[in-house]
Amino acid sequence: MKGILILTGVTLWAWFLPFPALSEDEYTFDLSEIENEIEKKPYSLGGFLEFRPVLFGLDRDSAFYKIKFYDKEEGSTLEQYNSRLRLEGSYHKGIAGLFFRADSSLWYGYEGWDGDITLLEGYLALKPNPGFALEAGKKVVQWGKGYAFSTVNFVSRPKDPDDPTEPVEGYYLAVADWIKSFGGPLKTLAFTPVLLPVTKSINEQFGEPDHINFAAKLYGLLWDTDIDLLFFTGKSRTTRYGLDFARNIASNFAVHGEFAWLPGFDKRSVDSEGNLHTEKSDVLKYLLGLRYLTTNDMTFILEYYHNGAGLDENDADNFYGFVDRAYDTYLSTGNSSGLDRAAQLSQGSIGTFKPMRDYLYFRASWNEPFDILYFTPAVFSIINVNDRSLSITPELLYNPITNLQLRLRGAILVGGNDSEYGEKQNDYKVELRVRYYFD
Amino acid sequence: MAMMFSAPVYAIDGDLLLKKVDRNLNPEAYESYRKLINIEPDGRKREFILFTVKKGQDRVASLFLSPASENGRSTLRLGENMWLYIPNVGKPIRITSIQSVVGGVFNNSDILRLDYAAEYKVTKVEESKDEYLLHLKARTKAVAYDKLKMWVNKGDLLPTRVECLTEANMLIKTLYLKKVRDFGEGIVRPSVIETDSPLYKGYRSIMIFAKIKERDLPDEAFTLNFLPRVKSLR
Repeated sequence: MKGILILTGVTLWAWFLPFPALSEDEYTFDLSEIENEIEKKPYSLGGFLEFRPVLFGLDRDSAFYKIKFYDKEEGSTLEQYNSRLRLEGSYHKGIAGLFFRADSSLWYGYEGWDGDITLLEGYLALKPNPGFALEAGKKVVQWGKGYAFSTVNFVSRPKDPDDPTEPVEGYYLAVADWIKSFGGPLKTLAFTPVLLPVTKSINEQFGEPDHINFAAKLYGLLWDTDIDLLFFTGKSRTTRYGLDFARNIASNFAVHGEFAWLPGFDKRSVDSEGNLHTEKSDVLKYLLGLRYLTTNDMTFILEYYHNGAGLDENDADNFYGFVDRAYDTYLSTGNSSGLDRAAQLSQGSIGTFKPMRDYLYFRASWNEPFDILYFTPAVFSIINVNDRSLSITPELLYNPITNLQLRLRGAILVGGNDSEYGEKQNDYKVELRVRYYFD
Repeated sequence: MAMMFSAPVYAIDGDLLLKKVDRNLNPEAYESYRKLINIEPDGRKREFILFTVKKGQDRVASLFLSPASENGRSTLRLGENMWLYIPNVGKPIRITSIQSVVGGVFNNSDILRLDYAAEYKVTKVEESKDEYLLHLKARTKAVAYDKLKMWVNKGDLLPTRVECLTEANMLIKTLYLKKVRDFGEGIVRPSVIETDSPLYKGYRSIMIFAKIKERDLPDEAFTLNFLPRVKSLR
């Protein structure tokens, strides 16, 4: 903990250090130098190097603490040191192009050193003209207008509402894109079909194996409003239909929304013995959001998310009650089978980013306050409307020099017993992220 | 330096003059490479390189080529609709014209500038020996600046200075257009735009045109679906 606090202190001190003057009143530039910089090359390679120490303040009475640390003595805090190398590259020749994005991670935590390498995306693209593109390989196909949440993201992994601008890992698929522009109120029409195979070794996390699934999106820019009609069918997951929209009401005010209808969805519930039940049910998911920019450059984002497939309060009570009883059994008999089953459950339905029914997301950020360029303080909160528990995360983002980005975050989790944030493993979290971009 | 302007000139068609200024600044359809430099009061500099394509009066797309932290970010403007695509996020999001994707004094509407005549009508023209002074008023409330005052050189009909004002005549920023250069194919225009603002005291931003040439692209290149692929136009 001391190490992280010293590191954070040094970073904050460096944050506001005056930098030496690099130029006088008059600037100079060399046009031939700029022309060299803009020269097009057939290949590109870049990415970033990241160091991210995290301090967790543990809640030793919480359900998730008991599941994870029932047989360990970790004290009141945990440290984790994460490092990551992101590499992105491309090669273009004629109408064809190859692209990849990969992460190589190494971290040190309470279980010691560990690491992995993940190919986030790697695909071949054919772009014969601006009106048509065909891409095949491992690729992220993000659908929907939501900022923190999404209900119509039918062929992508869910994004993390605590870090929605971070990329997710793609699926192996083939996607085409036809675009047509018009005059009049309908300015653009675009059709995007997707084929997504699932086998025991490809996209196996998507759903039932040995099927080829089909999804499609029809986009239109109609009366200055983005509108998408979306569809997914296949035997790996149930059929689903979606609609989303986004529109600027004024130059500083935008609204967006998403609706998804999932007939015959396998809806899950948990009983008091920790058993998972599934039942066919027609499910509606939706979100509504807005983005507002003030004259002094503060941005407010508000999003309400309803997940009709989510767990209700009864399911949550059953799960937390089951964990408490399993922990008591472990303390009295040493039998951890109940806690092991709870751990399995927590990897599934209960372990998804936001497992319950209704959430409210709020974010306020202030771009370059007090004439401090490249500095953005922000705070965001995710509120579980059903059990009234929440997280509050203040954040400072600063780019002190070109390609160096510093982000300091602290998250506080607030909630009573048997509530989502009250039963999380942590009471609070402090995280520093240092990124250096290169190409 | 004070410049004496005569009474309003009613014989000159201000809107026609503005359209000539637009065509002198750039062809209606073009591609360009620009460097943006933000200079802070202590002399620190931050540089960005942008590739931009424009078609018609109100369609512009831009792509950041550097620095590495911004590489691949692209923006699209269709009239007052604006979107930003960040490769990490993987989908375009709507943005507003008055915010800035690069920080500093230039905002999105300066970087993704449409033809002046598409956004403004001329309310008054004043004339001195060497210059016209055009008073412009935004056609809609969605335009980033409600009023502009534009000083135009009579000889080449190129602007030399533009003041951006609020509805209450408060000065937001001033653009200084300098160093007229021949870019070839008949394009002769200022190669440097400097800006300062009373709202950012001591800060300056500079836009340098490295290349600009006429280029007509299909309409589909200015669509939301194409935004992640703007790089393929280079």
